[in-house]
Amino acid sequence: MSGTAVFARKEVREILRTWRIWVLPGILLFFAFTGPVLAKLTPEIVGALAADQLGGLKIPTPTYLDAYAQWIKNLSQIGLFALIIIYGSIVSGESKSGTAVLVLTKPVSRTAFIIAKATVHSAFLAILVVIGTLVTWGLTAAVFREAPGSALWSSALVWLVFGLLFIALMTLLSVLIGSAAGAAGAGLGAYALMSIAAIWKPLGTYSPAALAAQPAALAAGKDAAVLWPVLTSILLAVVLVVFAALAFRGKDL
Amino acid sequence: MTAAIRTTALTKAYGDKHALDSMDLVVEEGSIFGFLGPNGAGKTTTLHLLTGLARPTSGSVQVLGHDVASVGNSIRAEIGFLPDVPGFYEWMTAEDFLRFAGGLFGIGHRVLDERLEMLLDLAGLGGVTTKIGGYSRGMKQRLGVAQALINAPKLLLLDEPTSALDPMGRKDVLDMLTTLRGRTTVFFSTHILADVQRVCDTVAILDLGRVVAQAPIDELKARYGQQKVMVEVTDGADELAEEIGRQTWATTVTRGSNGAIEITVKDVGAAQLQIPAMVAARQIGLSRMDAGEMGLEEVFVELVGGDRR
Repeated sequence: MSGTAVFARKEVREILRTWRIWVLPGILLFFAFTGPVLAKLTPEIVGALAADQLGGLKIPTPTYLDAYAQWIKNLSQIGLFALIIIYGSIVSGESKSGTAVLVLTKPVSRTAFIIAKATVHSAFLAILVVIGTLVTWGLTAAVFREAPGSALWSSALVWLVFGLLFIALMTLLSVLIGSAAGAAGAGLGAYALMSIAAIWKPLGTYSPAALAAQPAALAAGKDAAVLWPVLTSILLAVVLVVFAALAFRGKDL
Repeated sequence: MTAAIRTTALTKAYGDKHALDSMDLVVEEGSIFGFLGPNGAGKTTTLHLLTGLARPTSGSVQVLGHDVASVGNSIRAEIGFLPDVPGFYEWMTAEDFLRFAGGLFGIGHRVLDERLEMLLDLAGLGGVTTKIGGYSRGMKQRLGVAQALINAPKLLLLDEPTSALDPMGRKDVLDMLTTLRGRTTVFFSTHILADVQRVCDTVAILDLGRVVAQAPIDELKARYGQQKVMVEVTDGADELAEEIGRQTWATTVTRGSNGAIEITVKDVGAAQLQIPAMVAARQIGLSRMDAGEMGLEEVFVELVGGDRR
């Protein structure tokens, strides 16, 4: 087994044997389990809590699309923010603790170090999103008695591309910014900029910025042209990882 | 004999500050090389440049005949490195970490099993199943030495390997380094002179980013270490010290407490002949007279100017 594969296996074991197996999976599974039920009960909850203020306003009967929208909204907000915060130290954590020094004085290149991290954590996110989406799908079918898959899976997979882009971005930021909090702040700033940039039509149509809003549209059962944003996001993610590797190679440890 | 390490005009600057300033250093293969220097002299920076963890501002670094800047994994496969404060994955056990380190070198299972047992014993961690997060600094340091040896390296680079160890742990590590003599080039930085004197055959002294002396220990002491004579008289020590100070064989004369006088000399034979004669001429009593070599510690202090810090 090559040094790179051994290091990648270490990353997998680190996920399984540390807090990493609890935090992001815990957050996403919590939303996956509660989303469909909350979607179903929302009219009753709102009615019970604010019946006086609603007057004659009637809350529409929830459908499976509300459960899907709940899942995607949670992924796009709390899920993404948790991801940005957690991965603020994906590289700098190892540099600070001195573990990178012990690894990188053995036959593992800095490029392999970065690529192994980005790959393993991308796969981890993909598994979490697939499991969370399966849970949402199953519970939606149980609660609403119908759950067509296309709107849910298309929106979840498009969001996954957005999530993978942010893992690549956090890998680069964590190389450039030694502080985990600083990198996370920059990541949140990047998200805010992308959300604003999507208002300008060319960026909102072709660039990764479009993916900030398109998963929600897909989850609502609307059509959305996602091919270009998905392609440009994948390309940008690769470019960000390449830049992360180049920046890490030039860094003194 | 070829050089295991060769640096030429090696300079590392952080902004305006030069951590290393045109440092030239040669370490012969097979030697146990002590790299001495006070805190902040540039020892850790040197080790980071030798391992490729940092890049030189200018100059070149060759390790085992290869330029560190241009070679990749091949040279790292031949090196073992222990940083001054080794960082481990705290969720691993010692065995986990050594298996992980061995895996990075591509060592086969059978060889790895054999080395693991031997190195865990060496580190005093055989049978310890707790996670590294619960280890003391000394246990981590011993595990650091073990992981540096996992690949049976041609060149072992150690940064302050004994600094966190108790006397027994320190003795074990120094004994282990002695057993590597002739098989592995050992380069270790330290400010503990007794460790250097005990195991090293060659030493370099670094100060303010420059090598101020490099030679076999005996040669260094002979070159820089003048001999020393301690005299103690019953009376008239000040006058005697003044007279000794006028002799051509005396370099420095220092008055101690009571009747003690410490003299560094260029010709210990002349001093041994003439000092008793001077004492007799003054009709005072000679309580004590010893002659001896200066130790590495005194050479070190002389070279780096201990009193200017």
